[in-house]
Amino acid sequence: MNSILVLVKKDFAIVRHNRTVLVISFVIPFMLIYLFGQIFGVNQKDHGPSGIPIGVVNQSTDPAAQTLVDALRAEPAFRVVATAKPDDAKSAPLREEDLNARIRANEFRFALVIPADVVRTDKIGLHLKIYSNPRNEIETQLVNGILEKTIFSNVPELLGASLEARARSFLGDPSLDRFDSDIADSVARAFGGDPAEIKRRMQDGHFGIGRAAWRPKDDGGAPAKMDDILDKVFRIDKVQVVGADVRSPQATLLVGGWAMQFLLFAVAGSAAGLFRERDQGLFQRLLSSGVRRSDILWSKFIYGICFGLVQLIVLFFAGHVMYGIEIGAQLPHLILVAVFAAAACTAFGMLIASVAKSPEAAQGLSTFIILLMSAIGGAWFPVSLMPVFMQQFSKLTLVYWAMEGFSQVLWSHATLGELLPTLGWLTLITGLVLAVAMWRFRRGRIFE
Amino acid sequence: MSSPAPLLSARDVVKRYGAMTALAGVSLDIAPGEFFGLLGPNGAGKSTFMSLVAGLRHIDGGTLTVDGEGVDAGSDRAQHALGLVPQHVALYLDLSAETNLRIFGELHGLKGAALAERVTSALDAVQLSDRRADPVKNFSGGMQRRLNLAAALLHRPKLLLCDEPTVGVDPQSRNAIFDLLQQMNREGLTVIYSTHYMEEATRLCTRIGIIDHGKILAMGSIDELLAQLPFEEEIRFPAGAATAGLAAELGGQGELTTVDGTHRFRPRAGYPLSAFFGVTERLGLAPRLFASQRPTLEALFLQLTGRNLREI
Repeated sequence: MNSILVLVKKDFAIVRHNRTVLVISFVIPFMLIYLFGQIFGVNQKDHGPSGIPIGVVNQSTDPAAQTLVDALRAEPAFRVVATAKPDDAKSAPLREEDLNARIRANEFRFALVIPADVVRTDKIGLHLKIYSNPRNEIETQLVNGILEKTIFSNVPELLGASLEARARSFLGDPSLDRFDSDIADSVARAFGGDPAEIKRRMQDGHFGIGRAAWRPKDDGGAPAKMDDILDKVFRIDKVQVVGADVRSPQATLLVGGWAMQFLLFAVAGSAAGLFRERDQGLFQRLLSSGVRRSDILWSKFIYGICFGLVQLIVLFFAGHVMYGIEIGAQLPHLILVAVFAAAACTAFGMLIASVAKSPEAAQGLSTFIILLMSAIGGAWFPVSLMPVFMQQFSKLTLVYWAMEGFSQVLWSHATLGELLPTLGWLTLITGLVLAVAMWRFRRGRIFE
Repeated sequence: MSSPAPLLSARDVVKRYGAMTALAGVSLDIAPGEFFGLLGPNGAGKSTFMSLVAGLRHIDGGTLTVDGEGVDAGSDRAQHALGLVPQHVALYLDLSAETNLRIFGELHGLKGAALAERVTSALDAVQLSDRRADPVKNFSGGMQRRLNLAAALLHRPKLLLCDEPTVGVDPQSRNAIFDLLQQMNREGLTVIYSTHYMEEATRLCTRIGIIDHGKILAMGSIDELLAQLPFEEEIRFPAGAATAGLAAELGGQGELTTVDGTHRFRPRAGYPLSAFFGVTERLGLAPRLFASQRPTLEALFLQLTGRNLREI
């Protein structure tokens, strides 16, 4: 028994001095628990997504349409973009013909158009239009759900206006006016109230339809029986701006994130290889052979890019073979993005090697950063589900921009011009990370 | 007739690691064709000196030239004149012996038929031709060490730096390495060989520098070094009750130390051996208890530092 206790004590003594194990065991889970808590709004009043940009084009003059716009503005999940310059409320209103380009440019992935004929006169009901780039399944379902909830919560007034308009077109103005007056008088006699006020409210569409027909369930969704009615009453035209012709949308959207994670782990592994070469005295041999330190570092960088490129392309081809991801016509652009993504990952691996003091430390640090970067960068769940302040950090990660690039190529079939900003960000990240790594290598003792 | 220009020249070379001074003004010249030994305990500064010569670290003070070219980290002008055999087996273990040699040969600018010829002759020299296609990780420690040496010889350097190249090597491979080095030296290769094994330095080197705490304490051929000792012979006899009386009488006649149950008596200058054996005869001690031998470099190291090489 004494031997067992001594050996247990020994293991605790060892682990106390092993920072890698401590980081992997405690710091990483803590960070991820915090992150997931933020995303899923644990213990928060206003949990759920926030600030998802949504374009809104209001072509209707009906006051109820403006009410719907205001309701969308009040919805914390959305950030309504209704003007040509999103940050300038006084700029020209957003136009429907601009939506395709803006959605392709990823300014927003969803847009609601309230057409001039939102209140239909040909029959009772409403007409709306939703433009979307459903490049993320979870985000798309979420946005559609919130959008429908917001619309349905505010439709009674629009529906009333529709009834009024239909009646006006059917009966004509004088007859409808007489009809409304008679109804208002009857209501006032039976239930009390001012007949003139009742008539004014009726003509604005306030028929109490919301109270009569709208009984939201506890979760805010429409009751099942309502769905049939709503389907008949509403005509929502859905326009998928991007990805409509993609054969295997789900796999196409997933493969980028997973490929990036595998690449990052592979690159982090090769960073630890630098330590092995140092410990074996290989750097001594190379440096004494006239090889410069910078030669060794650049060779590692170039090798990392080549290896990463091959790995990414193989993974995408595996996705093509197994899940039908379409690569063919996009191959040149896919290779281009893969090269830039591999460069960023390799620079990251070199940074890890330059700041870590041992292979074990490099492994712990890289695991921590890869998991964090994958979570924040959107490899696990849509960035839009995270709190707004965390979404800002997403754009600092290479995972975010690499996934953006893969999505642009495979999902949006982006042109080279459309890819350039993303490639620019990847280049910037690569440059910064590599510069810090090189600086650290110069100051460090890995070559001694 | 003037002596040839030194192949390596060090003048007051200083190297510090933070507050610790690893080399405190080392000066030495090594002529072409020499087999120079750098003998000292671990931490004496041998590897630091080797790394400075190989251009792996910056020099903090003094000057160092190889083949007339100044040496410092980042400068590769002198590096093609030298080959380094590192302390570790600095090879790519997953690759074959031949691939390893090809890589290091190409780094030295060899290619084509010349590279193939050098690789073949290097493998022949270290008796690994029949294993040329095997991964190095499948080699014994001794074979790896031999290949480690071959990799440093591919480009036919003028100066070979061997930094304790036989650590952990079996006697057979050690002898093979020694034979190869001696053969290469006979063919004109200049060798600097660092070791803490006195026997290796004695067997291989024509000149030896004894280094400790970053300073060269003594330098010269074996004879020159041993001549610095105040005695010419060392008499060894077992320590114990039988020889206690003798040990007591020898006080003042020389230096008496005890290592591993053996007394070592180094007579002072002018003390005749006949006097010593007179005492043993008087005390009735059998002659077979005594062994007389020439002092070793270890004795010199003890004389210079007050410590045994093996004790460090």
